[in-house]
Amino acid sequence: MATELQAQHQTQSGVYTFSSRPRAVPSRPKYRPAPLPNEEQSSYGNIMYDRRVVRGNTYAQHILPSSPQPDPAEFLRQQEARRRAVVRKRLKVQFRSKTPDPLEGRMNTEVQTGAKEMYKPKQRCACSRPMTEALVSLSEMYLEELSDRVEDVSVECQTDLFLDKPATPLFIPAKSGQDAATQIEEGELFDFDMEVQPMLQVLVGKTIEQALLEVMEEEELANLRAQQQAFKEIRDAELVEVQRLEERERRLRVEKEKRIMQQKAVLEKEKETADKIAARVFAQQYLSDLLPSVYSNLKDCGYFYDPVQRGEYLETGFLPWLMEEVCSALEKRCVARTLLDTLIQDVTNQRYEDFQTMKE
Amino acid sequence: MASPQASENRSPRMDPTQAPLAFGTWALPKLLFELRDAELRVRQRALATLCDLVHDHERAYEAIHGGCMEKLKVLLQDEDSFVRIKTTEVLYVLASHSTGREALLRYDIVSPLANLLEDPEISCRKNMHQTLKRIAEFPLGAVFMVNKGLVPRLVQKVSDEEDDTRAVILSTLSYCLNVNALPALESDLIPVLRDQLSHPCSATRQAAVSAFMGISIPEEGKMKICEEGLLPIFVKLLSDEDQGVVANAAGTIMNTAVITTGKFKALEAGAIDPLLELVLSDNTAVCANALRALTVLAEVPSARAQLLEHLALLKTRLTHPATIIQRAASTAIEVISWKP
Repeated sequence: MATELQAQHQTQSGVYTFSSRPRAVPSRPKYRPAPLPNEEQSSYGNIMYDRRVVRGNTYAQHILPSSPQPDPAEFLRQQEARRRAVVRKRLKVQFRSKTPDPLEGRMNTEVQTGAKEMYKPKQRCACSRPMTEALVSLSEMYLEELSDRVEDVSVECQTDLFLDKPATPLFIPAKSGQDAATQIEEGELFDFDMEVQPMLQVLVGKTIEQALLEVMEEEELANLRAQQQAFKEIRDAELVEVQRLEERERRLRVEKEKRIMQQKAVLEKEKETADKIAARVFAQQYLSDLLPSVYSNLKDCGYFYDPVQRGEYLETGFLPWLMEEVCSALEKRCVARTLLDTLIQDVTNQRYEDFQTMKE
Repeated sequence: MASPQASENRSPRMDPTQAPLAFGTWALPKLLFELRDAELRVRQRALATLCDLVHDHERAYEAIHGGCMEKLKVLLQDEDSFVRIKTTEVLYVLASHSTGREALLRYDIVSPLANLLEDPEISCRKNMHQTLKRIAEFPLGAVFMVNKGLVPRLVQKVSDEEDDTRAVILSTLSYCLNVNALPALESDLIPVLRDQLSHPCSATRQAAVSAFMGISIPEEGKMKICEEGLLPIFVKLLSDEDQGVVANAAGTIMNTAVITTGKFKALEAGAIDPLLELVLSDNTAVCANALRALTVLAEVPSARAQLLEHLALLKTRLTHPATIIQRAASTAIEVISWKP
């Protein structure tokens, strides 16, 4: 219909194109051979016997939409129809009494039961209590209905949709033999608290022993060190005392020596001074006698005289004149003697020369 | 879930890292035999077991008499680092027993141990330093170490290591220095120690100051300390939080102030006031050292004048329960009130 409508539209505009060109329909054999692309379809079949042709009423058939996009009005209509169907179905389902779901391995089937007169209790009736099919069918076997409608049985056969095979139930073989049960009650096997004692003892004992050993080791070393420390302190104290005293001694000794040296020097000086004093005193004493004796000696030698007594004139005047006179007298004599000597010498010389001349 | 049957896969060895111990008297000989094994894994496991066993005195004695020392000496030079670490740990534990210490000295383990100073593995070096410290803690060991000339090498290593190892090395050094300080002085120890004095970790500082105390015992040490001008640092350390540091600092001042230069330098650095505060401290070492330091400083007349005012304070210390403090207090009072 839609295509016809569309075609009419197009005839109104004038240009007419086929959306699909009419062609003779080739017959289709039942079993199609493998399609050969280039082979021409030679045999044309009779459309009366063509299965593809639509037969029967066309106004109540499903039409595939010609275009992939459905007509929006059409689409809306379809949606409405769908919605109404869903609502109807829901209402029906609500009022319908449902049989319980079948167990594993069983399926629910519809069974029409025959009943008294007009009353046909089917599943579709609005009775609230569901009826078990098996019981009903049993009871209804002997009842026959009287109506003008001929009872007809329509039998349909249709393979079921392939349902998924349900999981095979766990094979639990039938029980055979006698059931026997055993259960270890608490306290039957062993008494935990008692049994755990030796193990705990060993564990705890070993751990503590090890810990004790380690602690003892550390303690021993710590004791040694403490002892050493105490000893070291005493030693330090003694050492420092010794060194200090030594140092002190040394200092004192040096000081002492210096003092002693000083003292010695002082003594030396003192001694010297004493000596000097003694010498001076002695000298003084000695010399004190000297002076009078010297004077007396001098006096004895006549150094102290009275000049007046001695006669000054005598000393200074007379004697030098006398000495001069004496000297001159002596000189004269001397001159005389020298003259005489020369005379004698001349004479002797004369005589010698004379003798000499006489000798020859 | 527990089932009543015992499981089929029984673990024959509870701890895969340790060798199984044989029963009774065969345990140690077998273990010692395994120490010489060519395969590395056997040796490692035997060492791990030995390490645990040696904590017990009797086992340690047995092991030493079974001749484990020679084998351990060989293992110290092994290539595998785990073996070396474990060997040093065994030696460390042995050093905590007296038989062990004696054996360590007798078999001269100290030299190969000292060769590990340059070991690349850090836990090995740490164990080794701790062993050396334990050996140095008792006097024979310290003498031995000084004779072997370990002190200069240790001095060089001080600045290389991290904090906790450094504290260990410094304590070793301080024990050795208490024996004989001269070789350390020659090896330029003082600058190295001076840096450690300002270290944030208190254990390092304490060890460094105790080393200084050892240095200040011989006279050259005292002179050197005065020359380097370390006394102000010590006076500053008197107000440190750690009591050990304070005690040792007071002790160093006490030792250094015995010589005259030391006395004057200490007085310049203002040592008297902090020392007076420390006299009231509860810690015996601190109190005693402070008292003795004051005694030494009191030989200087100016200091004596200053201290005469505080005589009452010192008199309170006479009633202290510890005898050392009483003696120190009485000497101090005597010296302060001495008149020439």
